[in-house]
Amino acid sequence: MMDVERLETILTQYEGYPQDLIPILQDIQDQYHYLPKDELKVVAQRLNVPLTKVYSVATFYKMFSLVPKGRHELRVCLGTTCHLKGGQRLLESVSSHLGIEPGYTTADMQFSLETVGCLGSCAQAPVMMVDDKYYARMTIDKVTKVLKLYKE
Amino acid sequence: MINLTIDGKALQVKKGKTILEAALANGIHIPHLCYHPAIKAIGSCRICVVEVKPGPPRPQPACTTTVAEGMEVITQSERLQDLRRELVKFILVNHPLDCPWCDKAGECLLQDLTHELGIDVVDYEAVKVPPHIDYESRLIERYATRCVTCGRCVRVCRDRVGASAINFESRGYFTELGCGHVPLECEFCGTCIDICPVGALINKLFKYTARSWELTKTKTVCPYCGGGCNYEVHTKNGHIHRVRSQGSLLLCGRGRFGFGVLEAPERLHQPLIKKDGQLVAATWDEALDYAARGLKEVIDNAGPDALYGIGSPRATNEASFLFQKLIRAGLGHNNLDSPARYNFARALAGIAAVFGEAQVSGVALGSVKKGVYQSPWEVQEEAKGSGFPFVLGNAHHLSHADVILIVGADVTPEMPTYGWRIMDALKNENFRLVVANPRKTKFDRYANLNLRYQPGSERLLLIGLMEAVLEAQPGYSPHLEAEGFEDFKKTLLKTSLSKVAKQAGVKDADLRQAGKLLAQAQAPAIIFGHDLMAQEQGQDNVIAVADLFLLIGQPCNKGSALYPIAEKNNTRGVCDVGVMPNYLPGYQSLAEGGGAFAKLWGKPVSDKPGVTLEEMLDQLENNEPEAPRALYLLGGDLVRLLPNRQRTERLLQKVRFMVVQDAFLTDTARLADVVLPVAIHAELDGTYTSTDGRLGCLQAALSPNGTRPDWQIITELSQRLGYPMKYGSAPAIFAEMVQLMPIWAGIKEGHRWPHKKISVSLNGKFVPFSTEISIPGEGKYTLIVGKTLAHSGSYTTHAHGPQTIMPGAELKINPADAQALKVNEGEPVKISSTQGEITVPIAVTVEIPRGVVFLADHFSDTPANLLTSNSNLCRVQLQKG
Repeated sequence: MMDVERLETILTQYEGYPQDLIPILQDIQDQYHYLPKDELKVVAQRLNVPLTKVYSVATFYKMFSLVPKGRHELRVCLGTTCHLKGGQRLLESVSSHLGIEPGYTTADMQFSLETVGCLGSCAQAPVMMVDDKYYARMTIDKVTKVLKLYKE
Repeated sequence: MINLTIDGKALQVKKGKTILEAALANGIHIPHLCYHPAIKAIGSCRICVVEVKPGPPRPQPACTTTVAEGMEVITQSERLQDLRRELVKFILVNHPLDCPWCDKAGECLLQDLTHELGIDVVDYEAVKVPPHIDYESRLIERYATRCVTCGRCVRVCRDRVGASAINFESRGYFTELGCGHVPLECEFCGTCIDICPVGALINKLFKYTARSWELTKTKTVCPYCGGGCNYEVHTKNGHIHRVRSQGSLLLCGRGRFGFGVLEAPERLHQPLIKKDGQLVAATWDEALDYAARGLKEVIDNAGPDALYGIGSPRATNEASFLFQKLIRAGLGHNNLDSPARYNFARALAGIAAVFGEAQVSGVALGSVKKGVYQSPWEVQEEAKGSGFPFVLGNAHHLSHADVILIVGADVTPEMPTYGWRIMDALKNENFRLVVANPRKTKFDRYANLNLRYQPGSERLLLIGLMEAVLEAQPGYSPHLEAEGFEDFKKTLLKTSLSKVAKQAGVKDADLRQAGKLLAQAQAPAIIFGHDLMAQEQGQDNVIAVADLFLLIGQPCNKGSALYPIAEKNNTRGVCDVGVMPNYLPGYQSLAEGGGAFAKLWGKPVSDKPGVTLEEMLDQLENNEPEAPRALYLLGGDLVRLLPNRQRTERLLQKVRFMVVQDAFLTDTARLADVVLPVAIHAELDGTYTSTDGRLGCLQAALSPNGTRPDWQIITELSQRLGYPMKYGSAPAIFAEMVQLMPIWAGIKEGHRWPHKKISVSLNGKFVPFSTEISIPGEGKYTLIVGKTLAHSGSYTTHAHGPQTIMPGAELKINPADAQALKVNEGEPVKISSTQGEITVPIAVTVEIPRGVVFLADHFSDTPANLLTSNSNLCRVQLQKG
């Protein structure tokens, strides 16, 4: 069942023009950790934007997800520099710690794992991000420590 | 004009054309994939690349490069072919080679390109894209794996249809077509199927029924709305498998998927006659003899006036013409009408009141014999015309209007063609759209201004608009010569704008803004439809619209006209060819026009106007001595279509003898003494006239299978009634008909009347109209009975396609009202009015304002007209069912 009030608090912050689509989707993604179907329908209706346009935008950008994501999102960089600095091994380590492949979410809905092309921090490679925090010059030893910070 | 050479061939091309357009128009083939003439070119597939001199050293896409003076274009070279081959190979990496069972095989552009470029090996490999196949959607199957992401369907759906129901999802290599990760929920027009160059979108009704090369194609006209779309019927072994529109590809869902009505199991193939109160099968001779005997008996006992004729917008022009000839010449009176009386005839009468009767001069019978379906009347230099037909707009010009006001019409369900024209108009950046409707309709999204008025208050809204126009520009005066302007202005200004705005339920500011737009418009057009015309005071509503047009209209500018929507395929035609009690064919007056008819027919034509369908029913109600004793119905399912079903049923039972010609045992046919099964559209030759007066020619593609065309039945009956009419074919009837209709001068297939060369002199007079607003019945809710996009009339309820989209009636209701009634989506609700009650499931939607409910009138098991009394509006009570 859709939580009408929760969505309304997001929608009322905007004037309801079609150009508000991306900011609204970002807010929903932040709060829900994904874009639920029913909510998207309401957004389309409210902004007078075709539902297909909403989906087109939602599937184009990697920051949006149509399936529920974990509370924390891990992004491991596999850009050129990180790759040279052992990004792949870092990914494997995170992956085995969490017990999930990239693109998946842990069963307790705490962590999602993604790979990215570049985080723009090549000087500090290899890099990974948890939510909006950077972790630079990562090593396999550091993985446990970092994850511990987010485990409940 | 621009001079250029393509492959050494010197060409002269209009400025602004692209190289591809220039080449194709001159028979030069350039391979292409994403380009389609119906949509804007985007140059995404790059297969149409050509070498251009002078220009950059790299090849240019021909579809987006416009021609320039002195340009030299090379379309074929080793380098270009190599490039094209590579590009097609990239597509083939993922394209499954399932041609043996793909329905597109034989008409697939990718197949043709692969063959043309001689690609035998694809030496690339890539990650396979996931095979997303949508089997779930209704009528359309989507194969993402076959998609070449050319974007044709996305563009046609967004830019021409205006539905935006399909779009790209994801990106880059993984781009695929989607509709929001749910089964398709769209208009189901199916245009995407035909514009798809490959088999990524498949018509479920056509799937696995035939190979494209086995089909016989016959050009004919769509039998559903007044749009008059030309399409091709594709048949194999005497069965119809699909229809397609060749030119623009645009068709609506009922046109594309509604052909099943032809082979519906409920079709009548044998005449029926009443024996001991039961309709039983009979042979054609038995039935015709029985019908003639019954009619003759009534005529002998009560005089020829006792037979009333009711035509139908289903019938062709030829059948309708013969029908009125039988009544006028055979029986000597004018007692005939058609169900158009309840909508389109009101539009004609209302516009005629303001702009006068049809007049044409300066046309003469030509000496050269004309071809089939062509008027022998020629338009001469000095040809002049005036009166209401000249105010009716040309659909092709609608997109030239700079302001369109839609009032009392849900355009797309009523007439999709006007919807497409509005989409075209929207491309013009100076174009403004004003939509006035109590409900939220499709074009609200595109409108610059929405006026959500109270149901039934159209006239108040129109008064408000007229006041707002006058207010926007002090000293405003009509562009046309208009009588009684000052007096009219005085009466208008008696009530203040804010008062009418309040009564109509719209905001003052919105009215003022609309007035401003209309006053500034150079070419304003007004579209109005069923919602406005089908009310009891429909004619007053139309007069109000016509008055507004007299005030703001500038018919000298392209597109500025009135666009009433005729509900059925031949609603306009049936009125044009004289199935009206007050007009001879071509809107000629009974008093003056009779001479030519009498001369040709050898019988005098009465100049006494007949009674209208409404008056005839009143006569029956009051048991007047003039009331008809016998009815001859050329279709026209009165019980189903007229408001107040119970009354119609009761009154028709009073008639002693009733002959009905129809394709199905309709609710009216059940009451008949004789039912004669008729051939319908793809089984017929003849013509239809579209809402905007365009002549569409039908060609029979299927055998009539026991049925007969209307005109043949009429000739057979006329012979038995002692007024033999003999015709060999539909064109022979057409020839006689057009000879008697000078106003149709110059008409031929695909052309509209009045002819464009007739110079128009329009003037009008402001006609006052009643401002009484009342909605019959009592109850908390206002019911609007109207049309849906899935269906047209009742015929489509016999076709599998439209039934898949909308299998039955549903009551559209506002979420808040549904909550108050404690009824959930899909649950039944009992609707009761003073006339009757029906139970239908509800569909909850924000399109409907609070206190209003909407019901479509196509379905016989839940007839909406069981609730109404004399209008498409009535008050009702709702109860959880």
